Amino acid sequence: MARDKGVLRLTNPWPRFAWLAGAAIVGISLALGFLVLDRYQQNDPPLGLWGAICWGLGITADLGPAREAAPTLRTPSRIAWTSSTLGQIRAGDAQHGSFIALNCTACHGEGGMSQSTFIPTLTGMDPAVIFKQLDDYRSGKRPWGVMGAIAKALSIRDSADVAAYYAARPNGLAAIAHEGSLRGESRSKESDSARHLAFMGDEQRGIPPCTACHGPHGYKIGAPPLAGQHAAYIERQLAAFAQRLRQNDINEQMRTIAMQLTPSEMHALAAFYGAPESSRVANK
Amino acid sequence: MYNSRRLTLYHCWVAFALFLPAVVLGAWQMLMRSPLPPPLQDPNAYYLSVTLHGTVMAYVVTTFFAMGFGYAVTATSLGRPIRGVWAAWIGFAICLIGTVMAAAAVLAGEASVLYTFYPPLLASAWYYSGAFLLIGGSMIWVVLMIVNMAAWKRDYPDKPVPLAMFAITATALLWAWTASGVLVELLRVLLPSAFGWTTLIDVGLARTLFSVTLHGIVYFWLMPAYIAFYTLLPQAAGGRLYSDTMGRLTFIMFLIFSLPVGMHHLFADPEHGVGFKFLQSFLTFFVVLPTLLTVYSICASLEIAGRHRGGRGLLGWIGALPWDEPMVLVAALSLVMLGGGGFGGIINMSYAMNSMIHNTSWVPAHFHLIFGGAVVIMYFAIAYEMWPQITGKLLRSKKLARRQLWLWFWGIMIVTIPWHITGLMGQPRRVAVFDYDDPLVARTGPLVIISVIGGMILLLSAILLIFILVRSHFGERTGEIPLRYALAVNPPAHVPSSLNGFALWNTILLVLMLVAYGYPIGQFALLKPHSVPAYDVTSHSDGGGAR
Repeated sequence: MARDKGVLRLTNPWPRFAWLAGAAIVGISLALGFLVLDRYQQNDPPLGLWGAICWGLGITADLGPAREAAPTLRTPSRIAWTSSTLGQIRAGDAQHGSFIALNCTACHGEGGMSQSTFIPTLTGMDPAVIFKQLDDYRSGKRPWGVMGAIAKALSIRDSADVAAYYAARPNGLAAIAHEGSLRGESRSKESDSARHLAFMGDEQRGIPPCTACHGPHGYKIGAPPLAGQHAAYIERQLAAFAQRLRQNDINEQMRTIAMQLTPSEMHALAAFYGAPESSRVANK
Repeated sequence: MYNSRRLTLYHCWVAFALFLPAVVLGAWQMLMRSPLPPPLQDPNAYYLSVTLHGTVMAYVVTTFFAMGFGYAVTATSLGRPIRGVWAAWIGFAICLIGTVMAAAAVLAGEASVLYTFYPPLLASAWYYSGAFLLIGGSMIWVVLMIVNMAAWKRDYPDKPVPLAMFAITATALLWAWTASGVLVELLRVLLPSAFGWTTLIDVGLARTLFSVTLHGIVYFWLMPAYIAFYTLLPQAAGGRLYSDTMGRLTFIMFLIFSLPVGMHHLFADPEHGVGFKFLQSFLTFFVVLPTLLTVYSICASLEIAGRHRGGRGLLGWIGALPWDEPMVLVAALSLVMLGGGGFGGIINMSYAMNSMIHNTSWVPAHFHLIFGGAVVIMYFAIAYEMWPQITGKLLRSKKLARRQLWLWFWGIMIVTIPWHITGLMGQPRRVAVFDYDDPLVARTGPLVIISVIGGMILLLSAILLIFILVRSHFGERTGEIPLRYALAVNPPAHVPSSLNGFALWNTILLVLMLVAYGYPIGQFALLKPHSVPAYDVTSHSDGGGAR
């Protein structure tokens, strides 16, 4: 655009007035906005000069890291199903495991066939399950005094060996599970709701079927076989998950599901899966 | 009109041809929001419709109308042919292609993001590219306005630039300044996401850049109306302009005070400190100055005309004005709406009062009153005034035109007054479906139904407008009335060089923009990069979802 002469020169009245007016407006609004008005806070004492300027610029404490210590990271388990973990489990030596298992007999029974309803049967259990639970006991992720002490005495290698030993035992949970699924068809009507939960889940409460992870529909690594396990043990574990006394399920799935179950449903499910005394005696 | 006649005609026809369907959409949206059963009850269609209505009204109609009006003013006020007509046609073609691209993307359901874009919502790249071409193409017009004014000043170094030309150049500069925000937003934030080069969107940066545009664009819409107030209205009323200098000051102040103020659209946004929000809120108040100056100046000019026509006494001049002239009638109707909308606007831009009406129906009610009312009704009057020159046919008829204008006025009043009230009652904006069974919502039902009636009146008025323009254009009655501008009471033989150009004011504006936006935009590069995943609304994203 054709430049008019002296249009920017401050000696001319129009530019002088315009710059002065502009500077005054900006000066007043900066002073009000950054020094005066923004000092006053609704529920706190007025800010100091430096605090007011920062507040005006939008630089507040929440820009930096929070001052309070970050809460400690809580992990449900030290075990992750990586290829190295699975390799450790696969390397388990059943022969060596049989010696270690002598320490277990007192509670878990001869060959892992527990006689106490509160202590789980280990015979035929998936080695990954035993390996993970031993590590959770060792790290305190699954708190239980006796097992914690025993697991601490075992090396990772020992855990894998003893897991391999119990997994290789014949006529254990795996076999009962096979029979149990057949027997499930002929159960009484009382366990209809339990069977429905086990095979169908409950969509409305967001409960998936037990069989999706514990078999036979699907087998998720780390999920133990249920059929043939002691009913009282299963019921107790469901209650422990629901009350968050037990928190070592990696994705919180068991805590989420168990919280949704009523006590009578837990009882019915435990009874549905739990092995009757007779069958266990027969297997023995 | 020299060589600008066809240029103006084509621009105006694009504007008005798209205006009518956009009004139809608006009327349907009023019906959709109401307790009455609409012809199509589909919330997705509602947001598609709002996007198209907003895009057409805010970008297409206004830009094409302002460009057409600018070419007419350049040729007639300077009294010589426009330089660079070929460039003007290229600009017209680019804007038209952009419009078609954007409209097609919206109609295909690929861009229901509303005309203000609302990132992290992400529309089809066709929509953003179309908007970019439309707004970018209009920069050719900006350059042509500046070139023509500069060339005239070189040829007539001792004469003041005619007020109309000075004002339209101020409008072009205002548009260039203000459009820079949305153009940078499109280039820097939205288009890279839409093309899939990045999956993240910096919402804070995008909203801040858009705020540069969001307030200035309103004054870009308003400027043709103000130019008509100063240069066409006193002539139509049979009088003279009260003061030429006041006119120049008004346009200069609009240029300066409509730009470093956009952050009053971000009062509720967390990405900025209170200091800059207050600064821009405070600067916004100065927009009142040119507005009041204009009201004063226009009333004075009309009083001169009224007294010239034999009006006596304190208010006798009002009755003596030629109220059968559409331009005179419209000026009065427009000032009434400008008054209501202006006072509402003071509430919106006040930092504390804004929180009462933030995101309520009050806000769309406000901008429909001030833009859909005060501004658009002036567009009608300008079109009626220009039509005989650009078509070579006389207007058929003034009586029908007056009826159309009255209908529009009452339509806007009936739409917006209940709309403001429902906003104060807490009705949220941008909502497609209300549950009128809810007792809290049910209270707004009767008011919304009144608004629907207003919407139907507006639709009738828009149809009448197109009917009048078409009938005049293709009518038999030939005749041409040159576009004449009002002389000032004291025609300026010489004006200070500061009031005859924009070098000083652009420099001041640059400093103000750096103060007002330098830190708020600069902080995103240094302190607060907080991008979030874009939320794709196009169909290939499976009905909306994060990319």
